Amino acid sequence: MNILESLSLAVKNIVSSKTRTLLTMLGIIIGVAAVIVIVGLGNGLEGYVSDSFSSMGTNTLTVMVLSRGSTRTMEVEDVYGIVAENSQYLDLCSPTVSLSGSVKVGADTTSSSVTGVSEDYFSIQGYEVSRGRGLQYSDIATRTKVCVVGAYLDQAYFGGNAVGQTLRVGGQSLTIVGVLEQQAGELEEGGADDCLFLPYSTASRISGRVSSYVVTVPDEDFLSESKAALEDALYEFFESDDFYTVTSMSEMLETMTSMINLLVLVLAGIAAISLVVGGIGIMNIMLVSVTERTREIGIRKSLGAKERYIMQQFVIEAACTSALGGIIGILIGYGLSAAATRVVTSLMEATLTVSPSAGAVALAFGISVGIGILFGYLPAKKAAALNPIDALHYD
Amino acid sequence: MNALIEFQDVCKYYHMGDTTVVAADHISFQIRKGEFVAIVGSSGSGKSTCMNIIGCLDVPSEGTYLLDGRDVGQMNKNKLAEIRNALLGFIFQQYNLLPKLNLVENVEVPLIYAGVPRAERRERARIALEMVGLGDKLQHKPSQLSGGQQQRVSIARALVGEPAVILADEPTGALDSKTGREVLSLLQELHAAGNTVVLITHDNSIAVQAQRIIRLEDGRVVYDGPSNAPEAVVTPRAAGTGGGASA
Repeated sequence: MNILESLSLAVKNIVSSKTRTLLTMLGIIIGVAAVIVIVGLGNGLEGYVSDSFSSMGTNTLTVMVLSRGSTRTMEVEDVYGIVAENSQYLDLCSPTVSLSGSVKVGADTTSSSVTGVSEDYFSIQGYEVSRGRGLQYSDIATRTKVCVVGAYLDQAYFGGNAVGQTLRVGGQSLTIVGVLEQQAGELEEGGADDCLFLPYSTASRISGRVSSYVVTVPDEDFLSESKAALEDALYEFFESDDFYTVTSMSEMLETMTSMINLLVLVLAGIAAISLVVGGIGIMNIMLVSVTERTREIGIRKSLGAKERYIMQQFVIEAACTSALGGIIGILIGYGLSAAATRVVTSLMEATLTVSPSAGAVALAFGISVGIGILFGYLPAKKAAALNPIDALHYD
Repeated sequence: MNALIEFQDVCKYYHMGDTTVVAADHISFQIRKGEFVAIVGSSGSGKSTCMNIIGCLDVPSEGTYLLDGRDVGQMNKNKLAEIRNALLGFIFQQYNLLPKLNLVENVEVPLIYAGVPRAERRERARIALEMVGLGDKLQHKPSQLSGGQQQRVSIARALVGEPAVILADEPTGALDSKTGREVLSLLQELHAAGNTVVLITHDNSIAVQAQRIIRLEDGRVVYDGPSNAPEAVVTPRAAGTGGGASA
């Protein structure tokens, strides 16, 4: 008696009791579907985070100067000097001065993201100026009271005609010299286009010292070498590593990704408990089935079935049941993933694709078959060990 | 001619708590190939134990059982299953058909375990069913048949593997007398065709259909001889007291 015979017998038994089989499989179905949706959600989240990070530039390093050095104070010129000295590793540099506070346009007040930057900042970030001009070196050097605004401010407060108008930031009146191209899909308050950039020299007059810089690297494959070179130069300057931090976007991305992965692992683990519960359900039903079919087992044994054939029959039936549950679970998981993609996309106004990975699907299927075999083993063992005489006279 | 079935001082003990029940007490007999033998006895006489041992469903506690020259008592469960499959065909009182399978699928079960390929299996099952007169009901389920028809399916199943011994355990017990007679005449046809048939029954009127009767009482053989002898149907003890009752 080969595996195929057992398989066709198992299928026959499964088909002949559909409701029971479906209820037996329910735990496996739910578990597999849950694992697939959770893993898919994790993949989607990871993709989303990685997309938004790479739009911020994965070739940039961020330097934070935490406090004044014990012996020396780091000025903007010092950082430019370091970048120039390490031109092999470092490319462009821009101080970034974040100004908290409101932007006043006439009588209206809005809270946009206001940042003081250098003339290179737009090329570092890949921003394009759609109208007017960007910031220029002369603006920085002479601390001109000018600014470049994002598309949201332009549309919402100036009717798309911002160039040449003025607004007030931190008590300073700034003339708008340019408008950036729209970044996000939709213009909205607090979005990527609700921003304003002014020369860092002008900004530092309002906020004080410049303490943060964005530096680009010529080749992002050598990001860690570039980071090391920058750190060495800063260490040399301060003679201590207590006063600065250098972070890279790709490192942050890695950290975020590993956090998401951990989260997904924990959630998938919780979902997998349902698989174990499902396995126990299968064991339960198989035990009942062995009792119900005691007479059948006796008949088969009297007709020459060896213990291993009986065992094989029950194990394969359990494995088939849970494999079928696994397949249904995978289909439902895909269905739910597609639904989740729609819901998340419409709720968050962000493109987050819930995409189950082929590996997760294969694993879920493998685990469900494995569970069938594992939890089918005990009932099968029980069936195989039945004494044929007792089994034949069982009612 | 060597014996096909040979019991040499076969004993079977069952332990029930502290007491030991002797179900078979030094039973010895031989059955040759082509014989039609009835093993008769009332309940508790040891005939079921005998049938289980002959059918290789159980092994003797003591003594030797040789089936076709092979010592069954020394075999493990797997070997016993192989022997049952190759040498024995069972006919049960309750037919013991598998209710979810159709007639062909029921009859082919022994061939599945013998490793016969599917097409050959189907063909042999069909021939066996035609032999018992059910060739027109191959796809029926057992529940769609009468008791007599079901018993004929079980006879077809017993025959299909061409066993050395056909072992019938109260084959007419669940049937009315007319269909019972039909089944018995089928067994006689099988015997006439050269098969060895062992019939286990409590009913003397059934037993006399066989050539030879082995009568058991309290786990011992009390008569072994032709079925047409007067002692065959009257127990010696009953004859001794002049009762003349037939078991």
